[in-house]
Amino acid sequence: MSCSPFDLKDYFFQELGGAERKEVEAHVHACQTCREELNRLRLTGTTLLSLREEEIPRRIAFVSDQIFEPSPWRRWWSGFWNTPARLGFGSAGLLSAALVVFALARPAPVQQVRLVQVPAVETAQAQTVSDAAIQARIEQAADRAVAARTKQLVAEVAAERQRLLLVAAELDFSDRREQARTVAALEYGPPRQPAGEAK
Amino acid sequence: MIFRAVEDGDLIRQAARGNVEAFNLLVSRWEKRVYNYLLRLTANREDALDLTQDVFLKAYQNLRKLDDGARFAPWLYRIAHNEAYSMFRKRRPESDVADLPPAATQTGITVGGSSVFPIELSLAVASALERLTPEQREAVTLKIYQGFKFEEMAEILSCPVSTVKSRLYTALELLKIELAPIEARGVS
Repeated sequence: MSCSPFDLKDYFFQELGGAERKEVEAHVHACQTCREELNRLRLTGTTLLSLREEEIPRRIAFVSDQIFEPSPWRRWWSGFWNTPARLGFGSAGLLSAALVVFALARPAPVQQVRLVQVPAVETAQAQTVSDAAIQARIEQAADRAVAARTKQLVAEVAAERQRLLLVAAELDFSDRREQARTVAALEYGPPRQPAGEAK
Repeated sequence: MIFRAVEDGDLIRQAARGNVEAFNLLVSRWEKRVYNYLLRLTANREDALDLTQDVFLKAYQNLRKLDDGARFAPWLYRIAHNEAYSMFRKRRPESDVADLPPAATQTGITVGGSSVFPIELSLAVASALERLTPEQREAVTLKIYQGFKFEEMAEILSCPVSTVKSRLYTALELLKIELAPIEARGVS
């Protein structure tokens, strides 16, 4: 029976830690019984190791067969489901996506309405300035258009006046000629018949 | 110590991405050890070779399930253990597997009647190992010949560390008694 502080077989099989090994070695150095027991274990181990390993009769080798090889996609998928860590990451990704979708689908909270109102005022101011500028441009354009139209109408009126003056002059000339004919007719009496026609 | 330009972890990663050549290199590093482990369990070369091929095929098919490359050895031996005991169940379906000794335990590891270990010492050791129970023999194989730690053995055998130690220490006591006459003659 061994009196070693630790099992001699554990020491023999190198299953003890460094400190424990030193304790056993110190004890074996001092205890003849344990030293003999350890020597017997070593001798038995050496005897057992005299049974040599055999060479394998036929070497084993595999060849790649594309027909039976799984596709890269199937290998990835198989690896994905066979690895708990990847599956965990995949689940976490799905959960994150679900949270994002849920957050986007929810109606905006009250605080967000207040936040939106501030930029809304700025937008209104910006829109007012923009309208004034647009209005000024419209007025300028209208003035230009009115001026051009007025100028055109003035020209047309002047041309019409000129035409009316010509017409009036012609009428005046015509009246004076008719008046002259009337005066001549009164002075020389009715027109006489020719001599041949009196017969 | 053998220098390896490419570590097993790199080969495992490449093999998991479908690199068959990387897996073949991995097989070449481990096939002899796995074969000898299965040879101890089955005591039959043909069975051991067939099982070794099955083990590496299953390992290739399930390599992507191996999260930690540093655990490759216990993982591979766990497959080997399962394959061996699956074969035992198929051959002796009505018996309790735990009580089953592997085939050809009475006359040593034989193929076609020829002894695998011709020298006297090897015969004596093989004979002593055959007298152990299959669980004790497997524990000795994993510890003495394959060099696994107790935790790794517990993972391979799917049992508590205390059970592993119990099996191994009982086996070691039996082997000491069995091999004592040979050791007394100064065989070492």
